[in-house]
Amino acid sequence: MHIPDGFLDLPVIVVTYAVAIVWLAYSFYKVGKGVGKDKLSMVPVLAAGIFVAQMLNWPIPGGTSLHFVGGALAGILLGPYLGSIVIFIVLLVQCLIFHDGGITALGANVLNMGIVDVLVGYTTYVLALKLLGPERRARLIGAFVGGWLGITLAGIVCGFEIGYSSACPFGIAISVPVMGAWHAALGVIEGFITAFVIDYLRVRADIIPQADLLSGVVRNAKP
Amino acid sequence: MLSRKAVITIVALIIISPLFGVILADAVGYHEPLDVAAEKLGLKDITDKLNWTPFLDYSVPGLPATIGYIISGFIGVAAVLGLGYLIKVVLGRKS
Repeated sequence: MHIPDGFLDLPVIVVTYAVAIVWLAYSFYKVGKGVGKDKLSMVPVLAAGIFVAQMLNWPIPGGTSLHFVGGALAGILLGPYLGSIVIFIVLLVQCLIFHDGGITALGANVLNMGIVDVLVGYTTYVLALKLLGPERRARLIGAFVGGWLGITLAGIVCGFEIGYSSACPFGIAISVPVMGAWHAALGVIEGFITAFVIDYLRVRADIIPQADLLSGVVRNAKP
Repeated sequence: MLSRKAVITIVALIIISPLFGVILADAVGYHEPLDVAAEKLGLKDITDKLNWTPFLDYSVPGLPATIGYIISGFIGVAAVLGLGYLIKVVLGRKS
């Protein structure tokens, strides 16, 4: 999912960088104001865990391959603002030290994995808890669907970015179905891992940040 | 600080990472959906032309790919932890 240098044209680079910078600035502002601050201590270890997990590529013989992304997991565990910051840390280190993901595509990669994946995963999980209650079943369903849907939509947005950047006049007609279909299929694994980790960590509903989905304000379910 | 359990888990994952990231990837040909779409669109990866780092693709110059992958894992985790703690301290001081 890491877009390398050379895939995006200038307008897409500018737009994706602008979106990423605005969201990250807003996220830093919100956390600085105290939103999700009680989970700040989890930032370094979760970022390190996701960095290592992304090194474990899963080559699938005869097909296409993937690695765990972790945006939905970060969003579920830390909320949308700190979740985005965690993925930004991972992507920045990958880009600057290992050139995994292009410097011209850093904005797009943050948008896909650090914003879309995080927000979709977080929102899906919170909705599942609201609709199904705080039981283990709801947490598993929310985390699985959040992980799967987050990576699928991130793949589709990535498809739009490279499709718009293509010299091919039908770029999007090719890139969006390819990216969407493959990520919808392979994203099942992302969903399983997200659900497994959430279940393993035994994240209880009363310590998971609940969201006012309209205002984006994160607060604990219980004072 | 990192818990003992977290340190053990991260170190273990780094040590086994070449099995997935190098050995199996080379054996079956690692190919992401993005690569499939890019091929169909005729997009060209220019990473090699723009490269600035000696650790390109989690390698270390002069070392076998598997060892380089492990060392890159430790370098990356150190950088991520450093940046993570910096952000934690800065944001923790605010408000």
